[in-house]
Amino acid sequence: MEQLVQNLLLGLLLGGVYALVASGLTLIFGVMRVINIAHGAFLILAGFVSYTAWTWLGIDPLLGILLTTPLIFAFGWLVYRLVVAPIRTAPMASTVLLTFGLALVLEAVMGFVWGNNSTSIRPSYVDESFTIGELFLPKSQVYGGLLAIVVLGGLYVLLTRTWIGRAIRAAASNPTGAELVGIRISAVAALVFAIGIATAGAGGAIAAVLYPFVPGSHYLWIARVLAIVVLGGMGSMGGAVLGAVMFGVAETMTSAYVSPAWATAVPYAIMFAVLLARPQGLLGSRLREDVVAT
Amino acid sequence: MAPLPHPGGRVRASVTLIAAVAALSLAASACGIGGGGDEAGEQDAGPITIGASLPLTGEFSQPGQAAKEGYEVWQEMVNAEGGLLGRQVELIIKDDASNQNTIVADYNALISQDNVDLLLGTFSSLLNLPASAVAERNQMLYVEPAGGSPEMFNRGFEYLFFTQQAPVDRQGQVFAEWLISLPEDQRPKTAAYPTLDDPFAIPTSEGIEEILVDAGIETVYRETYAIDTKNFDTIVNRLKAEQPDLVVNGAIFEDGIGLIRAMRKAGFAPGWLYQSTAPSLGDQYAEGIGPENTEGVMFAISHAPEAETPGNEEFVAKYDEMLGGLPPEDAADAFASGQVLQAAVEGVGSIEDQAALADWLRENEVETILGPLSWDETGATEGDFLVGQWQDGQVEYVLPEEAATTDHIVMGWKPGDAN
Repeated sequence: MEQLVQNLLLGLLLGGVYALVASGLTLIFGVMRVINIAHGAFLILAGFVSYTAWTWLGIDPLLGILLTTPLIFAFGWLVYRLVVAPIRTAPMASTVLLTFGLALVLEAVMGFVWGNNSTSIRPSYVDESFTIGELFLPKSQVYGGLLAIVVLGGLYVLLTRTWIGRAIRAAASNPTGAELVGIRISAVAALVFAIGIATAGAGGAIAAVLYPFVPGSHYLWIARVLAIVVLGGMGSMGGAVLGAVMFGVAETMTSAYVSPAWATAVPYAIMFAVLLARPQGLLGSRLREDVVAT
Repeated sequence: MAPLPHPGGRVRASVTLIAAVAALSLAASACGIGGGGDEAGEQDAGPITIGASLPLTGEFSQPGQAAKEGYEVWQEMVNAEGGLLGRQVELIIKDDASNQNTIVADYNALISQDNVDLLLGTFSSLLNLPASAVAERNQMLYVEPAGGSPEMFNRGFEYLFFTQQAPVDRQGQVFAEWLISLPEDQRPKTAAYPTLDDPFAIPTSEGIEEILVDAGIETVYRETYAIDTKNFDTIVNRLKAEQPDLVVNGAIFEDGIGLIRAMRKAGFAPGWLYQSTAPSLGDQYAEGIGPENTEGVMFAISHAPEAETPGNEEFVAKYDEMLGGLPPEDAADAFASGQVLQAAVEGVGSIEDQAALADWLRENEVETILGPLSWDETGATEGDFLVGQWQDGQVEYVLPEEAATTDHIVMGWKPGDAN
């Protein structure tokens, strides 16, 4: 029983970080219908920025989110204006190709700037855990999970309690209607892309403390995060959080009770099973065009 | 060829044409059309070109970068001494991004498009398995600095030669035999084997397990984990529950770092810790797990900078001059591959006949910075690895005794503030 609780807690903590990263991807898709394959690359970029801030300035990588996230937000906005905006309304295949290319360019640039050797960030608490009886909760995971909740909470408030959030939701649910009431879709899209990238940035700063990384690590992240978003329902924020937690728990439970060899595969099998029953994902909504397609 | 465009069909025709050209070039490279082997000696005047594809990015970038350094130091030293058969050596190194598909395309391209005269191998068994098959099909000598998995040598290849001391299933042999030679009260009673699902890592840990089980050391855990495993907490949670005296981790690099970090977070420290590859990567390893956690970690290693093997002092000095610091093991392994290739070419006196180069290697022993190497029919070597141990933040060579840099062995793993 104790082992079960321990593994469940570890899974939930892992899911929290996944949720943060997936939220940005699903937000960008929800508003812009752009599948941002470069999402993982932005995450790793934030990891390297955190690493530099930590080694040069001694800034704790988790506190450093206050510095790295605005930087990554600004970079995301710039990338949107320069690269993504011209093809925002192009067919989805074009945006997938473009963002995949962007991921490759970012990987090469990171390799050039920071090198292709494995990078680790080790703040003082990295090897420490909170203990409750026989249970242990790694401090870095707890801090990371809490930060993920704070950032996700902030995102929720932004989307539901502010004018900007209403504009974003309006643009997502009915772009033409939103434009008719005076919302500039292009400006909203730029903002959404930058916010989405910023959440990847926050996730990247946390992930960099948890795991060593190289520029090429973004492939592992994008594969996992895309699966989470599809599982939760493309464009659904709640679905992304739910999918992420399911993914995290499935991964740890499989590792503990089946075999570590299956740990990264079983969550995908669950995703297939869910999609067979609900093609739109857990909390995704079925669109008119989906119905026509079937 | 593609049909002529008809009105309104120009774009489609262009796409068809491009697809046709792409398909043809893919097919050509897959079949090895225009293979460089036969044409190798036709450009006598120019440099000898030697091709390799290394994992310069991706999961295996750590050893890949080091191997590139080793090849480049070898090239520099060979050229400074007048080259190979009086011709300068030119390296063509591609990046396979740690990908098994890319590496096949890379070696095909090296042979059929770059028309290289000779090949050198890549890093990790995972990548050498398909790369060596391309070389074999094109009947080109394939001297590899890594790729010691038993699978490499049971395919009946004639052009494959491994240049570390022994295949990986015997990599931990010296360590395991030393461990079971300890007095009963110091010897571990139980062992756990968390291992990366990889053709290098699995036989390494299985080779050790076989010796330890025969000596009565009970296996309490053996599991493999996938290469994209980031989260080691649950594996360590199981290990903690089993409380083994010894953990043998068949690792490459990041996974080895991840496992130790998870052990530290869980407050679990086995009495003994052995890892493959990762601890041999010097400062990168210490930075990854924290220097305070390195004390007593044991591993097999092929090269010692202090070794008095022929040419080693010059290699270490040249490496320091070109790149700074001490050479990592993987750079030394790559350098040794260069030495073996050089010995074969100079022994035969020509690069025309790749089969003759292979025959020469099968019949001769080559002195390298890793010690003398000789090969059986399969291209596998038959020597012993060194055993390294982290002591006071440095790597020491503790076994075998004749190659040891210290007579002191730290008895077990003593991480930072472990209980």
